Amino acid sequence: MAKIKTKDKTVLRSLGLGGFFGGGAEGMVDVKDGKIVRVRPMKYGWKYKKEEVRQWKMERDGKSIEPSWKSLPGPFSLAYKKRVYSPNRIKYPLKRVDWDPNGERNPQNRGKSKYKRISWDEATDIIAAEIRRIHKQYGPYAILMQGDGHGECKTINTPHGHSGTLLDHMGGFTLQVRNPDSWEGWYWGAKHVWGQGVQGNMWPAANIVNDTTEHAEQVLFWGCDPETTPWGFTGQFASRLCYFWKEVGIRQIYICPDLNYGAAVHADKWIPVLPNTDAALQLAIAYVWIKEELYNKEYVDTHVVGFDKFAEYVLGDEDGVPKTPAWASGKCGVPEWTIKALAREFAGKVTSIAHYFGGGFIRGPFSHEHGRLEVILLGMQGLGAPGVHHHQLTYFGMPRKEGLAGTFFWNPEIEERLSVPVMSSVTAWQQQILPKTLVHKAIESDEPVTFHGTGAIEGLVKDQFNKYTYPIPKEEGGSEIHMMWTDTPCRITCWNGGNETELAMRNPKIETIVAQHPWLENDCIYADIILPVNTYMEVDDILTNIRQGTQQPNIMLADRAIAPVGESKSDFEVVVEVAKKLGLEEKLTEGLSVFDMQKKVWGYMGGEKLVRWEELKEKKYWMYPTARDWKDDPPGFRLFYEDPEKNRLPTPSGKLEFYSESLARHFPDDKERPPIPKWIEKSAMHDERLSSHRAKMFPLLLMSNHGRWRVHSQCDDITWTREAPTCKVTGPDGYKYEPLWLNPKEAEKRGIKNGDIVKIFNERGIVLAGAYVTERLREGVVYIDHGARHDPIKTGEIERGGAINTISPAGITSENCVGQATSGYLVQVEKLRWEEMDRWRREYPEAFARKYDPAAGLRFDAWIEEGGK
Amino acid sequence: MKVFAIDLSVCNGCYCCQIACKDEHVANDWSPYAKPQPDTGQFWIGITELVRGQVPKVKVTYIPRICHHCDDAPCMETCKPGAIYKREDGLVIVDPEKCTGCKLCADACPHGAMFFNENLNIAQKCTGCAHLLDNDPEEWSVPRCVDQCPTGALKFGEEEDLKDFIADAELLSPAAGTKSRVYYKHLPKKFVGGTLYDPVEKEVIIGAVCTLKDDASGETFTAESDSFGDFWFRGLKDDRSFTLTLEKDGNRKTVKDVRTDIDRSLGDIPMEMRKSSKGGPKGFAGAVSYP
Repeated sequence: MAKIKTKDKTVLRSLGLGGFFGGGAEGMVDVKDGKIVRVRPMKYGWKYKKEEVRQWKMERDGKSIEPSWKSLPGPFSLAYKKRVYSPNRIKYPLKRVDWDPNGERNPQNRGKSKYKRISWDEATDIIAAEIRRIHKQYGPYAILMQGDGHGECKTINTPHGHSGTLLDHMGGFTLQVRNPDSWEGWYWGAKHVWGQGVQGNMWPAANIVNDTTEHAEQVLFWGCDPETTPWGFTGQFASRLCYFWKEVGIRQIYICPDLNYGAAVHADKWIPVLPNTDAALQLAIAYVWIKEELYNKEYVDTHVVGFDKFAEYVLGDEDGVPKTPAWASGKCGVPEWTIKALAREFAGKVTSIAHYFGGGFIRGPFSHEHGRLEVILLGMQGLGAPGVHHHQLTYFGMPRKEGLAGTFFWNPEIEERLSVPVMSSVTAWQQQILPKTLVHKAIESDEPVTFHGTGAIEGLVKDQFNKYTYPIPKEEGGSEIHMMWTDTPCRITCWNGGNETELAMRNPKIETIVAQHPWLENDCIYADIILPVNTYMEVDDILTNIRQGTQQPNIMLADRAIAPVGESKSDFEVVVEVAKKLGLEEKLTEGLSVFDMQKKVWGYMGGEKLVRWEELKEKKYWMYPTARDWKDDPPGFRLFYEDPEKNRLPTPSGKLEFYSESLARHFPDDKERPPIPKWIEKSAMHDERLSSHRAKMFPLLLMSNHGRWRVHSQCDDITWTREAPTCKVTGPDGYKYEPLWLNPKEAEKRGIKNGDIVKIFNERGIVLAGAYVTERLREGVVYIDHGARHDPIKTGEIERGGAINTISPAGITSENCVGQATSGYLVQVEKLRWEEMDRWRREYPEAFARKYDPAAGLRFDAWIEEGGK
Repeated sequence: MKVFAIDLSVCNGCYCCQIACKDEHVANDWSPYAKPQPDTGQFWIGITELVRGQVPKVKVTYIPRICHHCDDAPCMETCKPGAIYKREDGLVIVDPEKCTGCKLCADACPHGAMFFNENLNIAQKCTGCAHLLDNDPEEWSVPRCVDQCPTGALKFGEEEDLKDFIADAELLSPAAGTKSRVYYKHLPKKFVGGTLYDPVEKEVIIGAVCTLKDDASGETFTAESDSFGDFWFRGLKDDRSFTLTLEKDGNRKTVKDVRTDIDRSLGDIPMEMRKSSKGGPKGFAGAVSYP
């Protein structure tokens, strides 16, 4: 048999989709005849021997776990070839057919009208002219720059925020401030208990993975799924860790409405709680502990302020309602006896709590209350003691690496083309800002919008007490927004109030919308001009795979695998094309080539101290050795645990604040986030409990989490993941619907069978889905992943693609917290009647006429005039 | 001779084996080993999901299914043009050039491992990524599905090297009698579980002796309720009928007709504790110690 060639060359990538500069889930990409032939896990031993890279080992009871010697990417990472060659790729610049910058703009047709092909030259001419016109007419702040969030891992060509660099050179812009979108409750709540913390999570959190492995007797996976969310960032190490914990007898208890993917394979005990009712369960646990004296009194006396006020509330002395297990059971749906058993087991065993962001626990209305209560419960059991930690597993707390200095690429000392785009994702650095959660409100409102705290990821605790107004005063250049430029077109499917967002983008105030993206999806179809962006496979870059809990941190020179698809350019190059028309090309490039930039980034990482440039160039990657003394790093809050006077927390008192004097002072009338965390039944903002009168019409609590088969909205068009039964459900009409999980008893009540098309609805609209009838969900709840690709039947009202956030609350976490509340809200579910679908077919024929490919979903040519021919 | 060894106890159901197989074989022509696999619809390795039990005692078992590369392969026997052959290393391959598209092999395979490509008019299935093993042995010693497995659930290697695994492994369909080369550990057996509680005190009952007696054979299994009042019987045979007896401090409760046609969660079972050996909260697990 003649030899066959299996590849021409191999290039390296981070296959994670967290964005910024690289995370992990590294991969090797084999290329043959100019096409990607395969995407596979990275063999770390490609150019190094294992003994050259010092490894770590965690041990318990004579058993051990080490980092694997290959990467562990998730399914969408391995299937990324389908994303690169997706029928949904934008291949050339587009203009909406009925948008004329010199005439009728027809904003009412956004999300409905098709597009026609234009040249790069025409597209950039139009954009440059529009920027100049808007600046002249309204001032620079009339342009909203939406350039933040997750995406492909790239450094020089980072997928977000380059337009901000350009606009800043022209006098600034209105910055859409990215808010916590998977950790709201810790950001707006827990921060006030333990001070700052990274993103509101526990910090310091060094070395807690090993400490929990060595000392914990049980781990509570509370509303978290280690088999889902980590995949998009670092891959599947958390899975290996959970299997190891099982092997050494660390009990794993899952507290969540759904038997999520982690619970499905790792849970020793599943406690199905109703969505967003965790605060009741937590308060009852505290009640049992106080009544039965099952908490660490000595620690509370020395490490905590405000315990007495908290205890008064728990015991009912404050409001006449003791927060007993019986009381909680009625709220959270967990039997009284199980709540008592959980309370005693939590107290009786060395216990850590684990999350990896997301989940129903932390993304609902008033999520700051259970965010705070979680810290209080850990505080009552000696947070910082051996095996008592708060995990984002394994985002924080992996063994320390030698030479790891951290990539603070928003450091203003470095090139603007590196720092400014990242700043726009993590800070609120412009004069006029809008939290991402308020964009739709701000557009639709004729009054100024006020809010407390920007919600920026790097925002300090004290910023939550600052009051902001949009727009800023006219004399300071303030203006409403009249143009939007997005490179993160997933506001509809990933954030709050999707239907309101759709309608806001049709507001005539918004004269121009520019989108740049590799795929024609979600908000793109509301844009007037669309620019084609290429994927990470099509660019040269350098990656710093050190973040988010990678198991083998490394630096990687990523050579491009293939030529750009169609006329696409990198996110950076797209903005440079516009800058050329404005005479600002040099400002953006700073005269530096990609090669120059690679070398600079290597320098910022430590340069020669780590690896010679020639060696990095030759081998294409370099791996950080584990620090010899990593086991000496004090785990988590250990120093505070040992001596709270010498090792003060960054709270005003230096201790864990069960009662927050700051909240009491700044928000004396806040009923949703009072100085001690409470059970909040409802408020002017949210009325989303089963006790509500609304529950008569909408008797189910909807829960959503990040997708198993997507990273937020990324990767909905991969034909191969769409074959998994929990990824898509093929309806009788051949359309692949997003699965809606429901318990057989809830299905039976409604005459719904597995595979039926169902209608999920409340006052905010209708979403179609495919019924996934399963015992993996308790009664009273329905579950759906967020982030499915938007496919409007009627913009602002009826959604076929399954983008569930279209009917999520349009409001924010609570009045003074600009987080999103996109899980734990009321809906009803019915089997879709064909008469209704037929009526929609008659009324909205264009929605059903769009070209559809069940394997991949909607196609690029569905939105192009005459199919792009 | 090569074998596949699959340990279901560490399969997290990530589907990466199924994806990696498609990545290797869809739109890639590895003739003479295999023609391209269609984009969707074929699963040369495919995951079957079993959701077992009822709320709140539910488990999911994922079973990767792949060609068994049988030593007595029915597909080979039925193939008239002799397109299906067995290699020296044990892998069974369909020669896409010789296949005439008669489909007999697909009907003959008891493992559902043979697929039919209507466009190319050929039968197709797992090749063990023989094109990689043969042509790039420095890089590849295992097929794509095994190479990517993040948890080590999938293994591929010499029968001799995996003999310890094989010693206590099972076949997926032993009745097929095809001398399969795919071995499984931890194939699902039925479970019965429940939670025992005192409806008066509203406490779980810890340390109850739980006895499951096979109504036909009289065989008994015992378990003790744990600190959540939970009891579990695992590894039960299919389609048996049992009587469950729960006992604590002279209190007793019997549940009849517990069948293992499916995995059973018996839910929260009340047992009144009229007789009690000691006072105090019955759920109390013992002294609390602080680290």
